[in-house]
Amino acid sequence: MQDIPVVDFHAHLGNWGRFGMLDTPELFLSCMDNAGIDLACLNCIFYGDSYRGNDRVAEYVRKWPKRFAGAAFISANYPEEMVPELERCFGPLGMKFIKIYPHYVRVSHDDPLYFPIYEFANERGLAIMSHATHYFDPPSVSVYKRYENLVKRFPKINWVMAHAGGGTSSEVMRAVRDFPTIYVETCSSGLRNGGIEYAVKNGRADRVLFGTDMPLLDAAQQLAKVIVCQITDEEKKMVLGGNAIRLLNLKL
Amino acid sequence: MGKVDLNFKPAVPVFDANAELGRRHDQRNLKDTPEQIFEEMSRAGVDRALVWHPNGATYDSMEGNLILQELIHGDSRLVPQFFCNPSFDDFDVFTRSVKDAAVRSIRMVPHYQHYPFREWVVGPWLDWMEREGLALWLPAVYTVFGNTTELNAADVYDTIREHPHLNVVLSEIHYSNVSWAVPLLKSLPNVHVETSRLTIADPVNRFLEFMDDSRILFGSRYPKSAMGIHVYALHHMGLPESTVRAICAGNLERLLGMG
Repeated sequence: MQDIPVVDFHAHLGNWGRFGMLDTPELFLSCMDNAGIDLACLNCIFYGDSYRGNDRVAEYVRKWPKRFAGAAFISANYPEEMVPELERCFGPLGMKFIKIYPHYVRVSHDDPLYFPIYEFANERGLAIMSHATHYFDPPSVSVYKRYENLVKRFPKINWVMAHAGGGTSSEVMRAVRDFPTIYVETCSSGLRNGGIEYAVKNGRADRVLFGTDMPLLDAAQQLAKVIVCQITDEEKKMVLGGNAIRLLNLKL
Repeated sequence: MGKVDLNFKPAVPVFDANAELGRRHDQRNLKDTPEQIFEEMSRAGVDRALVWHPNGATYDSMEGNLILQELIHGDSRLVPQFFCNPSFDDFDVFTRSVKDAAVRSIRMVPHYQHYPFREWVVGPWLDWMEREGLALWLPAVYTVFGNTTELNAADVYDTIREHPHLNVVLSEIHYSNVSWAVPLLKSLPNVHVETSRLTIADPVNRFLEFMDDSRILFGSRYPKSAMGIHVYALHHMGLPESTVRAICAGNLERLLGMG
């Protein structure tokens, strides 16, 4: 066994009964301990407002400050609440980055609807995690163009494409190579063969972030995807924790 | 610091209960040859694999089963699992082929092959399997050309209830199938579950709250997934070694009469 800093960039709080997703602190911590995860970055996207979920995240972080970090969920259904909630999250709640979920508004994250969030993040050099593509995207959508526009307009934001580090999109990896502020995160229920290898070899090893999607998905299985994939041990260390520590300036 | 094992090798024998071997017609599998599966098994520390051929689901079970046997070419590391289509296959010819090939398990995809999994369709076939001690694998979903069909849980419950001595394995249970799979497993003690898509947090410990470890089987869904993922995970879920040993190989050996 090796001692390696391991950071889960993508974990959720909340129960989701129709998928058997169960959230308890005991389950979370035992899964993390068994898998060897030091710190999980939590977000909570299950409420109509952002406040209730962010309060739940902050409560976990307060109780277990060495095991959890907070990601602020900002709902685009209530644009008037975006900036006040961001100020709360990055003031008293001490969150580390921003999570948005365009599925809830059926408006892609390159729409001006989100620009108040991005202006806040750009001023502070924060990271923002979102799915890179959406079920409501037109077939002609270009992920590369979407991110090229965002990167040019908000150059100090670090953009994290949730799940894209487990897939094999050449367009996504071209964006990773071309823009130094783009990262991809690895979790997927498909446990797809070859996805992380593809991201490391066709994107960049220093821009791939390990994530679990816990407790919708299992920590040990998602971590095992990195362990058994065919990249070097140094690359595995970067993916498992090194990149997240650098991006979020974490002290483990 | 998190403790992870970059040089992991399994501590117990491993027998994969769900591996696809051969070419598909609707896409190119990442890996589809015997040489590639042996390489994967070696890398992951998998000793044997229960393999099926996709042609048996999509076009003709008998022909798919023949191609499977050609690919296996008598290598004991690969154990054949035959597809069966009870609404299309000739009963006498099919059962003779199973006997001749010493096959011990059957795979059915009623949702994809458009027959109801009801007693009036599959009853005689399940009676025969019960008599012969053959186990039945039922994948929760089957996907061709990106279109996914899902097993009818009510049909499975009603029909399997009439065959209490038939060992049934629910295969590829995804989190979107958990809502019916868990009550089914609670209701029918002869139903087992295979792990390849069981990706909810801490799945084995959660399932062990209502069933014992003899009903859980390691499966990889190779080549879509790497074989080593679940093997590593099963060793890092805080499970007793006896449970890891049973899930990784012992339970499958018992179901196939190879113990």
